[in-house]
Amino acid sequence: MGKYDHLTERGDEEKLYLLCFVWDEPKWEFAHLPLQVKNLEQLRKEYPEWASGEPLLGAIPECNGASGLGPLGTERTALGARVTALRYAPVAQEFLKRGSPHCLRAGLWAQVLGVEVTAQQTAYFNQLKRNVLEVDLMIDKLIFKDVQLTASNDDQYFVFEDLLYQVMLCFSRDGEVLQQLKGSIGNALTVTIKGKQTSPESVTVFPPSGIIPFHGFSMYATPFCYLYDEPVQLYYTFRAFYIRYWHRLHYISTHPQGIVSLCLLYERLLEANEPLLWIHFRNININPIRVVFKWLMRAFSGHLPPDQLLFLWDAILGYDSLYILPLLAVAILSFRKENIFQVNTIQNVDAVLADLSTISIVPLLQLALMKP
Amino acid sequence: MNHDAKKIAASFYGRVNAPLAERFRLNFCTDLEKSVLMSNFERRGWHHVGPDDEWNFYWASTQTCRNLFSVESGYRMNDNQIINHFPNHYELSRKDLLVKNIKRYRKELEREGSPLAEKAEVVLPGGQVVTRHVHLDFVPVTFVLPADYNMFVEEYRKSPQSTWIMKPCGKSQGTGIFLINKLSKLKKWSREAKAPFHPQLTKESYVISRYIDNPLLIGGKKFDLRLYVLVTSFRPLKAYLFQLGFCRFCTVKYDTSVTELDNMYVHLTNVSVQKHGGDYNSIHGGKMSVQNLKLYLEGTRGKAVTDKLFAAMQWLIVHSLKAVSSVMANDRHCFECYGYDIIIDNQLKPWLVEVNASPSLTSTTVNDRILKYKLIDNILTVVLPPEGVPDVRWNKQPNLESLGNFDLLIDEELLEKDEPSTSTGRSFKNNKNTTR
Repeated sequence: MGKYDHLTERGDEEKLYLLCFVWDEPKWEFAHLPLQVKNLEQLRKEYPEWASGEPLLGAIPECNGASGLGPLGTERTALGARVTALRYAPVAQEFLKRGSPHCLRAGLWAQVLGVEVTAQQTAYFNQLKRNVLEVDLMIDKLIFKDVQLTASNDDQYFVFEDLLYQVMLCFSRDGEVLQQLKGSIGNALTVTIKGKQTSPESVTVFPPSGIIPFHGFSMYATPFCYLYDEPVQLYYTFRAFYIRYWHRLHYISTHPQGIVSLCLLYERLLEANEPLLWIHFRNININPIRVVFKWLMRAFSGHLPPDQLLFLWDAILGYDSLYILPLLAVAILSFRKENIFQVNTIQNVDAVLADLSTISIVPLLQLALMKP
Repeated sequence: MNHDAKKIAASFYGRVNAPLAERFRLNFCTDLEKSVLMSNFERRGWHHVGPDDEWNFYWASTQTCRNLFSVESGYRMNDNQIINHFPNHYELSRKDLLVKNIKRYRKELEREGSPLAEKAEVVLPGGQVVTRHVHLDFVPVTFVLPADYNMFVEEYRKSPQSTWIMKPCGKSQGTGIFLINKLSKLKKWSREAKAPFHPQLTKESYVISRYIDNPLLIGGKKFDLRLYVLVTSFRPLKAYLFQLGFCRFCTVKYDTSVTELDNMYVHLTNVSVQKHGGDYNSIHGGKMSVQNLKLYLEGTRGKAVTDKLFAAMQWLIVHSLKAVSSVMANDRHCFECYGYDIIIDNQLKPWLVEVNASPSLTSTTVNDRILKYKLIDNILTVVLPPEGVPDVRWNKQPNLESLGNFDLLIDEELLEKDEPSTSTGRSFKNNKNTTR
């Protein structure tokens, strides 16, 4: 596919604009990568329940102060209770597509992810805890730093600090993570065990999970604190989510759900559906991906308030897809475009997008997916 | 949301709000020059005047308010003046008077034969059997010292393993509070207090309450809740609950061991105390929103128990107000915003710790500032008639839009008229009969 093939579908005015700055095209664009991504029309087919405009949980604000649920909330809670009792993952997954009442999430997510805490699981977790206490690893410092800089400074998650330390430290010692992700995360770092000769037998993976934490890594786990208050259940559910989805957000690959494809999808969606915004970014010399990358990489954790975030993660799990992330990014930019048009520096664009606490993601996404 | 993003958002906030329409030029007076107040007054185009001028709205200190209403001052307020305190608010805000009023209220209900006054036998952790109110047991067993000393000793002997908390009646911000777990410690304190070089302490009265030693912990830390309640009238009672409250967490893990009894950082949740702890974080200030508390409890414990807890808190607030409504000077010029401090125990039962008549308007974090700004803004829209000019002849029935982030907790006038259209949905009336 030619580099500028996508230009031929445009109107003349836009062609003129784009041709003007094609001469010094920035090198960081994703468009030149030979990866296939979907367009909005195809995404509508992926998310039919959202594209149809039917009432979804989270779309209509329920009464804030009173304990009463609206009719949809009551209906979903009753249905969700029956779904949970079935204990059949595909049905639970289907249920999540339309959003889950918060009180049922913990159970439903565990079912869909195939997480069941047995005595064996608990024993394994306790073994991991012992490993943490017995042997210090250098990355422990990274984990502490990460939690201190992110979750501990966040008014939504600071209370769960201790739980997070436990979960993240145990995660780093968990060799099963490496096993299950073989092939998806490249070759893990290996080191020679201290005091031994360099030979194949004395080499070990560092850390045992094969994953080196980074700033913001613990944010993949923080929202689970609103679902589970004891570490074992939290650990296994987070771990399953990570193995299924989160690792794709920080490892470079050609996987259609990998971060690179998601960035490309974002760019294509923005360019095709908000061309004026796209042009505005070009004019003010800002790389459009720069503005939303942190949202994509963290799956919006730490950027959206927990109640909204959990609706988003319901959709990720329900549709088994991360495509909703770039879609939401474009929807938010579209929603705030009038403010973005009025600014012309990256700091001011960041300021317009800094506070997402008033965003209601369900109606926003419905709007984006419904046919005009 | 991380710290840097918050800073950027806060500086943007003023610009995002649309300008208000032109209003009647009001004169305001204030004893407190806090930014959350001044910015709200200035945004409405109000004119700042002194206390001796013709003010329409006065955000006064409790002392000023007492002076204004005192017989000696001879000050008469006109129909277009309102002030932010009731003359004898201390019936609610002083710890000893609050307890006295609640006890009196319960006795009155008992005499009337009201089902609210129902009592039942409760088995204490130590095995002793005591009688407690079923529906009105929201204040821990409390005695005023030195007056009720003998009654206290009798109660203490029923459960000698218990811990008690001593609080000076007229102080705030955690000053002068300490815990005791042995009667001998109390005797020692009272001996020291009567010593000639502490003349103030002998006059000062204290309350001693059963310490809630099984608080609900999140992340291993103790917290209490701050809820804001606006009262525009006591007879008929009109009260509104602010939806945005917050939890104040201790910086140190909760520990009931004897060695930690004197560690304020473990036991006292006041921000003024925790601020000086080594682990204090000024980005979040140890404050978590009540919405997030609700989310956490719903997700981890289920909706039913969470709803029951929140209904119980509303119940607690309403009855504490009813308890003082007969003794409050119900001046039409007055309204008041109270800061309710509530502790939840690990059985998810709320306990009223105290009521503040002048809740702090200082902001410790960005979120705090936004919350308190909204609080003042909504207070103004609720207490002012639709035209925006203070008028004591107004019927004090704000429409739904004026409530903003306030929920109607109770409006006795509306209940008497039995108007379902104005008291559905967000009103307390629906919950009243189902709470326990």
